[in-house]
Amino acid sequence: MKKHQYNPDSCIACTSCVAYCPVSAATRKFAGPKMMGPALERFRGGETNTDFSLDYCANCKNCDISCPSGVPISTLNMLARAKQYKNKRRSLLDWMMSHSDLMSKLASPMAALSNFGMANPLTKMILKQVGITDKMSLPKYASKTFLQQFRAFKQQSFPDKVVFFSGCFINYYAPEVGMDLVAVMQRNKREVIVPEGLDCCGSPLVGKGYLDEAVEKARTNIAALKPWFDQGIPVLTCCTSCGLMLKMEIQEMMDLEHMEQLAAHTYDASEYLLELHGQGQLDTEFAPVAGRYIYHTPCHLRAQGIGKPSLELLSMIPGFQIEDADAGCCGQSGTYGFEVAKHDIAMAVAEPVFKRIKEYQPDYIVSDCSGCRLQLSQGTGFPALHPLTLLRRAYEG
Amino acid sequence: MKQNDVIVIGGGLAGLFAAITAAKRGRQVMLVTKGVGAIAIGGGSIDVLGYDAQGVPVRDPVAAMDGLSADHPFAILGHQRVETAVQSFLGLCAAEGYPYLGDLQHNQWIPTALGRLKPTCLTPLSMNASSLKTATDVTVVEFEGLKDYCGRVMVDGLRQCPGYAKNYSLVSLKTDINDGRDLSALDVARWLDSESGQAAFIDRLTAAVRPGSVILLPPVLGTKPDYHLFHKLEQATGCKLVETVGLPPAVTGYRLRRLLVNCLGKLNVKLIEQANVVRGIIENGRCTGIVTGNLDRERTYCAESFILASGGFFGGGLQAEAGRASEVVFDLPVAVPTDPAAWSKEKLFFAGSQPFAKFGLQVDGKLRPVDASGKLLLENVYIAGKSLAGYDYCVEKSGNGVALATAYQAGAEA
Repeated sequence: MKKHQYNPDSCIACTSCVAYCPVSAATRKFAGPKMMGPALERFRGGETNTDFSLDYCANCKNCDISCPSGVPISTLNMLARAKQYKNKRRSLLDWMMSHSDLMSKLASPMAALSNFGMANPLTKMILKQVGITDKMSLPKYASKTFLQQFRAFKQQSFPDKVVFFSGCFINYYAPEVGMDLVAVMQRNKREVIVPEGLDCCGSPLVGKGYLDEAVEKARTNIAALKPWFDQGIPVLTCCTSCGLMLKMEIQEMMDLEHMEQLAAHTYDASEYLLELHGQGQLDTEFAPVAGRYIYHTPCHLRAQGIGKPSLELLSMIPGFQIEDADAGCCGQSGTYGFEVAKHDIAMAVAEPVFKRIKEYQPDYIVSDCSGCRLQLSQGTGFPALHPLTLLRRAYEG
Repeated sequence: MKQNDVIVIGGGLAGLFAAITAAKRGRQVMLVTKGVGAIAIGGGSIDVLGYDAQGVPVRDPVAAMDGLSADHPFAILGHQRVETAVQSFLGLCAAEGYPYLGDLQHNQWIPTALGRLKPTCLTPLSMNASSLKTATDVTVVEFEGLKDYCGRVMVDGLRQCPGYAKNYSLVSLKTDINDGRDLSALDVARWLDSESGQAAFIDRLTAAVRPGSVILLPPVLGTKPDYHLFHKLEQATGCKLVETVGLPPAVTGYRLRRLLVNCLGKLNVKLIEQANVVRGIIENGRCTGIVTGNLDRERTYCAESFILASGGFFGGGLQAEAGRASEVVFDLPVAVPTDPAAWSKEKLFFAGSQPFAKFGLQVDGKLRPVDASGKLLLENVYIAGKSLAGYDYCVEKSGNGVALATAYQAGAEA
């Protein structure tokens, strides 16, 4: 634990986090970030009481972003949640929502069958009994994972290498985004390395209080990535929650060797491309891309403290117009919106974004986060793309 | 390496308004902030000069500026530049559909949550309390469960204010919120954002008040910077409504921040949140870039000029240790007495000004930092807001006014 990131007494109870917590705005069942985080933290020295209000924190990080005193409020909540559930029997729902990587490993090889199996009414009924909402479609497994597609793809070799940490969603559900990243990197004379032995980043586990398992995932990932970041090779993510985990959350919640070096080498893919541009190394031969687009900033990108690199990058495409929705959190927060008990809250949080997008009538929603894309496209009916997909289109004309 | 025309450090009122001012001149602006700044939870009224150095209430802020010491930010700027800043702010709010009321020649007296009156200069229309002064009948509305606003305290407080012996009645209204955590003014304001909440509230309020009276209520008339509900309620009740200053989160400041952040978006200001500026890069008396130090690594952002609006000791822009104080980003000197005993008076809340309240950065006429001998330290860095020396916003009631005036000046120069 980095001590400087863990001081509830820095909280001066100013209520900024209360004012900007989207969950507090949507439900009164959540006591709010100030109360659940720094205020109660002072009483958590000994045995902890089970406080179900804590369950409503979505770990979206808006409290941390709004805090003028640098208190990692959401992290205090996640640590408290882990402590609260330690050695307690957990529901099947909690297990499923946090172990989608394991489920995907089993289901993905039979993607067509699994997708059919998940979508039929009987399964939906069973899932609802477990606590998964039937009001939202679960994402569909891709017929070939990113890893399978990547292994089959013949890359051109370049002296400059980048490591790609795909994360579970891109691997199992959106491999095309991963392949877009590979194409964009190849265009910029970078060879993409996907190391053996990578695991889930741990974000869903942290969100459900399985901190010990998340620590093991982090340990595994650091070990698999170390040979590369030791050589100064950057580690790219294009899932903002994976990125936040590797850059910040591991350091806030865990104490692992080499975690600082991993963080120092981790880049959001768009952030990396912008840095290339700063060094005059970005290929800016973009062809115009037609269509009407609206951009949604993921909260886990805002929390990284790097602004909106994708918007800057896309603005280099000649004549390209993209509207910044700037309408707050989408409410999905990974798996939060899939739960029966939370779905209505997620939808209430998303309402201003839905409204903004529907008014704009885009051809596509653009967002860096898979959960945001899922929520916004299902909530508005407009399809959603990752910024790298657009960038690839601009390269390929 | 990220090149901008102007980088603003700080996202409080000073930082936001400086960024807007510079962007309106056509500058490419980036704003870097850690947290949302006090504006988000504050009362949203713009105090300019409420009390003079002797503690006497000020009627005309412009006239009273003549009595300020030479190192006061208003004295450095002069009347005209403060007036220009205020006009720019009023114009901005009006253009955004949320006009503010007031002028630099007059202070208004507005009720606080404790039923006292405080002087301020510019307020949202819904906080204009001139009708309270002339009213005969005043209805104080409180909400069941809203602990931060006690109608009885409001009535008792106001009764003691000279000239405010009115015919007060107290009304306690229900919201439709009856579950979960404690109620805040922001919760009630969110309820009143909804159409169902508005309809229910209009029914309950009109049944409880007589037309022609003045209604005092906590700041709950919606979270958005507009007056739709305010006008609707005045029409439905036939009364004048006054929102009082509230405890944090005070909603009225939240609305103003929302208005200003909306403007940033329209003006294409790049916003970098959750970033901690740790130092500046200085070459030959000029700043070429700033460095953010997040948990992962440092990043450098470059610009032609920089506006430092990072706040005072409380906001994290200045830091102090025994016998020494300094500015955090550029390590600029903060002049303090060498004897720590001279930093403060023993009684924290005595009637005058605490010496430490006026500690801060000394600047030239363009708000650029200078040392004790008046030598310019950084030629392209401009200071706005609470990191400036020479004023005590608590005692003077001048905080947001200094923030606006210095932010405008910095934004116009940078």
